[in-house]
Amino acid sequence: MRNYLGETSKATIFRGKFSEPPPAGKEVVIVLGFDASYPPFTSINEAGEAEGFDIDVMEWIAKKYGWRLVFKPWDWSTIVTALENGDIDVIASGMTITPERASRKIWFSIPYYSYIHEIVVRADENRSLEEILNSGQPIAVQIGSTAEKWADKLLKEGYRFKKLCLGSYVEALEALLDERAVAYITDSAFLNPHLSKNPELKTKIKVLATLGAPETYGIATRPEDVWLREKINEALSELMNSPEWNELLKKWHLD
Amino acid sequence: MNLMISLSKYLPYIFEGSLWSLGLVLGGLGIGFIIGVMFSLIQVYGSSPLRRLISLYIWFFRGTPLIVQLFLFHWSVFPVLGIKSIPLITSITVLGLRSGAYQSQIFRGAIGSIDEKQMLAAKAIGMDDWDAISSIVLPQALRIALPQISNEYSIILKDSAICFILGVMELMTRAKYTAIATGIALIPYLIAGLIYIGLTYIGAKLFDLLYLKMMIPGSVEG
Repeated sequence: MRNYLGETSKATIFRGKFSEPPPAGKEVVIVLGFDASYPPFTSINEAGEAEGFDIDVMEWIAKKYGWRLVFKPWDWSTIVTALENGDIDVIASGMTITPERASRKIWFSIPYYSYIHEIVVRADENRSLEEILNSGQPIAVQIGSTAEKWADKLLKEGYRFKKLCLGSYVEALEALLDERAVAYITDSAFLNPHLSKNPELKTKIKVLATLGAPETYGIATRPEDVWLREKINEALSELMNSPEWNELLKKWHLD
Repeated sequence: MNLMISLSKYLPYIFEGSLWSLGLVLGGLGIGFIIGVMFSLIQVYGSSPLRRLISLYIWFFRGTPLIVQLFLFHWSVFPVLGIKSIPLITSITVLGLRSGAYQSQIFRGAIGSIDEKQMLAAKAIGMDDWDAISSIVLPQALRIALPQISNEYSIILKDSAICFILGVMELMTRAKYTAIATGIALIPYLIAGLIYIGLTYIGAKLFDLLYLKMMIPGSVEG
């Protein structure tokens, strides 16, 4: 039986690890899976500990309820399978809420961060967006990213440029700076903190245009872990409405 | 220069990874040794259906990528068997099963290089099959196989880097995370490379020592 939200009703739902509140007095241990190669949201510090915006957010939530967090770095390519199979209990790692992801195996919390895709060029560029997209020259993207999806979409729409796939957002930006690419597609979640950390770049590049509508990050949980998701949502809304939220954003250069 | 300082702070973190890598390798090599010896004996002396079963096993583990085996065991085989395994245990088990397939071929070759007449001679003085194998053939075969086991060690050491796909925090993964956190790509990987060379060198030297200690004076080298 499914209700109007597409949620399976409680009578038939598979009982998960965190479907219901735990018995009183029992310690709640949440295994947090994250991709440690996604600063400033999730990375590793010198002591080998998890750090980043998402880590701080999860720690705030855990502190509120007295949960114990176990941090588990996991490769991005298999992180959803690890969640499904119980190797980890939540993913808080700058994960974009997409319909494909949200409908199948993972259900997201309320969105907590939004970003938009941008086309960036060198500061001395004076061609228009149309001219750049039809220049036949390379535009750099990170392979496998949502930026690459955008490049594919633009190519499908009939624009004529070469897609230059590189290993990371940083490498794609490098390609733009040393003129191997005329533009590069990125998202504000990467670019803004990167510019705050490297202010000298601000004079070298400019955002030419934004692409599409803003997208959002959510914390991923297993569909059946209803109780856990409710608790996370409750804490997230409380945190986002408090002054601490802005402090956290500022701390990680995300404001 | 600032970057270098921030990188140097990550050194203990990277070095700690070599313990994980060594754990994976020694566990895998040990399990592989037991499987390898057993299976090589079955392949040489066992009955035909058993031999066929073993060669199926060997084909599977030699014919599929490690990454596929890791996923298969962690997310299919173990759950079906009702075993709740942590990634480290899955990784050691799979490395061991895989190395067992390779080591069985090493031992099979070593056993094959021992003159068949030795078996006949052993039987002629009244030893049964098992006595002859365990006290005449195997002790020689194990010695002959040692240099190749040393080689297997250096291969499995680098293979262990793939276990990160299940979240095992070995050396290469730590190098990667350090590269991303510091924004310096080359040096963390270079450090990891040097540690791998060091571990390979130490391992190879230990095997050499073992080989010299075990060598039978006057015996023909395999």
